[in-house]
Amino acid sequence: MKRMLALMLTLAVALTAAPALAQDTLDKIKSTGVLTIGTRTGSPPFAYVNKANQWVGFSIDLVETLIKPEVETAVGKAIKIEKKESTPPTRIPLLSSNAVDLIAGTMTDTPQRRESVDFSLTFFYTGAQFMVKKGSPIKSVNDIAGKRIATQQGSTNEKILREKYPQAQLRAFPDQPAAFQALLQGQADAYTNDGIQLYGLKAKAPKPDDWDVVGDFYSEEPYGMAMRKGDAKFKTVVDAGLRKGLEGGKYFEIYDKWFGPKGELPYPMTPQVRAYLLKQIGK
Amino acid sequence: MNYTFDWSVLWTGQSGQWLLQGLAVTLQLSALAWVLAVVLGIVAGALRTVPFRPLRWGATGYVEFFRNVPLLVWMFFWYFGVPPLLPRVAQDWLYDHGAEFWAGTIALGVYHGARMSEVIRSGIGAIPRTQFEASLAMGLTTFQAYRLVILPVALRLIVPPGTSESLNLLKNSSVALTISVAELTFQTRQIETYTAKAIEALTAGTLIYLALCLSIATIMARLERHYAIPGLISRTKAG
Repeated sequence: MKRMLALMLTLAVALTAAPALAQDTLDKIKSTGVLTIGTRTGSPPFAYVNKANQWVGFSIDLVETLIKPEVETAVGKAIKIEKKESTPPTRIPLLSSNAVDLIAGTMTDTPQRRESVDFSLTFFYTGAQFMVKKGSPIKSVNDIAGKRIATQQGSTNEKILREKYPQAQLRAFPDQPAAFQALLQGQADAYTNDGIQLYGLKAKAPKPDDWDVVGDFYSEEPYGMAMRKGDAKFKTVVDAGLRKGLEGGKYFEIYDKWFGPKGELPYPMTPQVRAYLLKQIGK
Repeated sequence: MNYTFDWSVLWTGQSGQWLLQGLAVTLQLSALAWVLAVVLGIVAGALRTVPFRPLRWGATGYVEFFRNVPLLVWMFFWYFGVPPLLPRVAQDWLYDHGAEFWAGTIALGVYHGARMSEVIRSGIGAIPRTQFEASLAMGLTTFQAYRLVILPVALRLIVPPGTSESLNLLKNSSVALTISVAELTFQTRQIETYTAKAIEALTAGTLIYLALCLSIATIMARLERHYAIPGLISRTKAG
């Protein structure tokens, strides 16, 4: 009886003492020497595995070129970047469980998500559209009633369709490759995702000319990098990295590498998007 | 900890409805797949013990082929691999009428049929050969011997491992979420992505699966006691 009591008291103390031992992200990076990022493996050209079996992408480059030097300055030593796969359903849990420190992929910054995580400055701006087979009757979000639409479970697109267009038959897959496969084979009439990602998939499809990206943006999708909530020091560092990239022009170089005329996916930046990105840093 | 608990997300908004819908789909999927698995299991298990070699080899081929490949691969095979082989008209009809549900059911049923057949085969193997010989001596054909003498006893013998395999089937139904079947685990993830409360959502799913499995195990134990043949297997008094 006494031993039981002692054990329970110890457990109670240990559990309540735990928060005091929690480190913030910069301390964790300093002690482990590693910045772990959660990123995609099937979302070209943001984060994907290319033909040479390398895990590369625009978001990954932003971390390695802009964020990494800033973090190294903040912790005072060289660090390594470790990449772990994250998908829409798993990214916030990975962050909360400390498995990753930063989500750098294709995550849309929304007010609802801001209740659970913090976002960096916006690093890309796009909107949701549909990918359909050439000649499909679906031309915009108003045509989807009764049609089978493939989505990624946990994405903002799925949420909007589910709430605003309930007559559409949604097929939610755990990740992009499975959803795209459903479109390719006809299990779905359309696949919805952010426009830029659809262009990326179309470019990598077996027969790119068979597919069209249609529809006006039915939602606005500013991409940000997600971090654990309340970690002000780490957020300052990440934002500083992006800010320096935008001010100094390195960001636009990386943009050009992936989205310029010679990039993986030519997608010129509109003047409005350029103004929006610069306005974030007060320019 | 930076995590704030909020258990009300489980019953406010659509969460409760989603959990119930997911539960319904899980039960339907598991029930249909279970029937398929038991039928395939009995046929394959029995065929592996008959004296006729081609039937034995056929059954062994089925078992080894299907149980040695992960269920996840089978899910993709039946959903992405099989429909393109059908005529276009059949494909379109199928996609509009729950192709993913049927692909999931067949994948689950065939995979667990292979595993169930091993369980049933071991039950048949536990029956003394003299039973079979006596049946033949009484004038029964092999088929009748299996149907009237061997299988009734074998099925009673294998209730414990059979229950275990059935519970595995119920739990494996969650793999169907990879082909967009909106079963219980899918719905717990849905709640979690909408509310960002992972622990609450996963606890809900865990408790529901636990309740389901415990009920099924209890029912099977009752069935076992009810159908037991007195004196067939030695049981301790504590039972």
